[in-house]
Amino acid sequence: MKHGFREPWSIVAWFLAPALLGLALFRLAPIAIALVGGFTGTRLTGETVWVGLRNYRRLVEDPSFWNAVEVTLLFNLIVNPLQIVISFGLALLVLRPTPLVPFFRAAYMAPMTVSLSLTSILWAILLEPTMGPVNGLLRSLGLPPQPFWRGEDQALATLIGVASWKGVGYWMVFLLAGLLLVPKELHEAAMIDGAGAAARFRHVTLPLMRRPLAFVLVADTAANFLLFAPVYLITQGGPAGATALLMFEAYQAAFTYLDKGRALAISSVILFVIGVLALLELRLLRERGG
Amino acid sequence: MTRLTRRAGLAGAAATAALASLRPRAAHAKTKLQVIWMGWPEGQVKPLMDSFRAAAPEVELQVETIPFVQIFQTLEVRLVARTPDPDIFICDSPLTASYAARGHLLDLTPHLDASRFTKSAIEAASWQGKIYSAPFGSSCPVLFYNKKLLREAGIEPPPADVEKRWTWERLVEAARKLSKPEENRWGFSFEQQERPYMLLPLAQSLGGVALSPDGFKATGYIDGPAFLEAYGFMQKLYTEWKVSPQGLFDPNLPVEQFGNGRIAMLVAGTFNEATIKTRYPEIELGVAPYPRFEKGKAVTPTGAWHVGVNPRTRNRKEALALIDHFMSHDLQVLWFELRPYPPVLKSVWEKEAKRFETDMWKIVRYELEHTAVPRPATPGFREYEDILRTALRDITTGADVKATLTAAAQKIDRELEKYKG
Repeated sequence: MKHGFREPWSIVAWFLAPALLGLALFRLAPIAIALVGGFTGTRLTGETVWVGLRNYRRLVEDPSFWNAVEVTLLFNLIVNPLQIVISFGLALLVLRPTPLVPFFRAAYMAPMTVSLSLTSILWAILLEPTMGPVNGLLRSLGLPPQPFWRGEDQALATLIGVASWKGVGYWMVFLLAGLLLVPKELHEAAMIDGAGAAARFRHVTLPLMRRPLAFVLVADTAANFLLFAPVYLITQGGPAGATALLMFEAYQAAFTYLDKGRALAISSVILFVIGVLALLELRLLRERGG
Repeated sequence: MTRLTRRAGLAGAAATAALASLRPRAAHAKTKLQVIWMGWPEGQVKPLMDSFRAAAPEVELQVETIPFVQIFQTLEVRLVARTPDPDIFICDSPLTASYAARGHLLDLTPHLDASRFTKSAIEAASWQGKIYSAPFGSSCPVLFYNKKLLREAGIEPPPADVEKRWTWERLVEAARKLSKPEENRWGFSFEQQERPYMLLPLAQSLGGVALSPDGFKATGYIDGPAFLEAYGFMQKLYTEWKVSPQGLFDPNLPVEQFGNGRIAMLVAGTFNEATIKTRYPEIELGVAPYPRFEKGKAVTPTGAWHVGVNPRTRNRKEALALIDHFMSHDLQVLWFELRPYPPVLKSVWEKEAKRFETDMWKIVRYELEHTAVPRPATPGFREYEDILRTALRDITTGADVKATLTAAAQKIDRELEKYKG
């Protein structure tokens, strides 16, 4: 008997081992390194030393860190709801199988196939203020050219726009999958009960979309918190700190300021914020009752 | 060229085998040297490397070339790992102190004969009295101009005579006549619109000092009156007078626009002369010295690429042989032909004197002897450069000059803290 019980467990363990090992090696270990590393500093000659809370104390006193926190939160406060609303809208638009729908589905998904760095370079060129084609178009229409990436009050909005251009098609796919799983019968029953389109959306579709929405919201938030390529490739955090996302601050700390402890402390802060936000979002969208 | 160790080949001979067994590595394997080099066009890199390969066939040279915009990060990642790789790396001269202070450069003082090099090159290679990087080239920007565009606008070209060099005020006056921003035509641009290298002399011309003498404090220096005035003036090139195109931060872009006749005057490094002449042969190229402010003195930037040896290399002998080869007269002449940076060897200036009789080289020679000021010597130059660069970038796009420089100075002070005692 005992023997019979043990064997399935060992089999289960063997099957799980590669995944658990991968999780430990590529997820948990780096997190542990970052958390511990945030309390260390590097001597000029390369030795790592324990510095306690020094890195965090310096961050707290540092106006550029607080600027980055502010920019990151503002960016995420706008970009995440915006992307969810747009991608949900797109998913609804391409839900019904009408003749041109495959074309639109593919068109919305197309930006997803372009790498983020390529996207950045593409939009850096398109929106280049002096020589870019978009300003050329504006000029030919008699409209004033815009500074885009180089305007202190336009750069973050431009970044949000480009991140969304790339992101919404991707998130649309998940929401579309969710929508396709909503049973038709529920809609038909609601229709028989006299519910209009708006009422059906609110009382049938939305409640059943909680799970896919929760996933997309959490995953999208995490992805946007970690956005780095366009900042690095186009704005370098500027102009005047307008696009200094925390990820870029962490990068600069490590590779420009040669301060690994500071970089790991910033990474830990990012991880903490994402963790808290994910919990809040999951709570917000938790399925209530039976 | 002295012979390198005779390893390799002789496997089988008992004596050699016995000797080889005392060595840590297998005797028959070629010694590998890993080199990280600047991503110049292949035609400017390969001939140098091939020349060493021919001189030292027992060494296998593995060269990685990294583009300018990535090279400093790449080197940082590789060096902080503190492994023997790379054995040799290209080193921007103002970073010598940074690398040396952190133990990434082998002390070359006993190995290099300092008397062969120009004084400024040795200064740029030194940190705390020792030579840590082998000077490989110097630099000096000049004012290139398009003769045809100036003639058409009825502007008398800037004189090549260093004593009669244009002032910035005079240059702006001319540039305004040459600019038509709505047609994407510009009177003037810097080749490096955001790099302290090219822009520090503006403030230095007005008496500004780039960093405290001990190398640790920027507040009171880069946010002082000379810097505010100089960079306020620079900002107006873009925002008020609109004589310079904004945002061409990649140094290739202004050169390209100059070549296409869209920019009439360009402050740029000497090595661009060759590029412009080959790529844009129709341009009538004029050369004048780097301008100064009316009330200021003439100051020019200098310093350039050096070569460093990783102190952790396992092939010190071969690495030093490469340094010897690269610092030889013949290779320096070849390098000059490939990419004309001002030479660092006295013998090149002397034996190749004929090459330096042109207007441009006469200017360069004068500047290197009289007006060149190296970038500040601080182990934190990497941080200093990057923070000031970002500030300059913001200033060109209209950021408040005083607020930007004050913030940058504070940031630099914060980062230089770690190098104090």
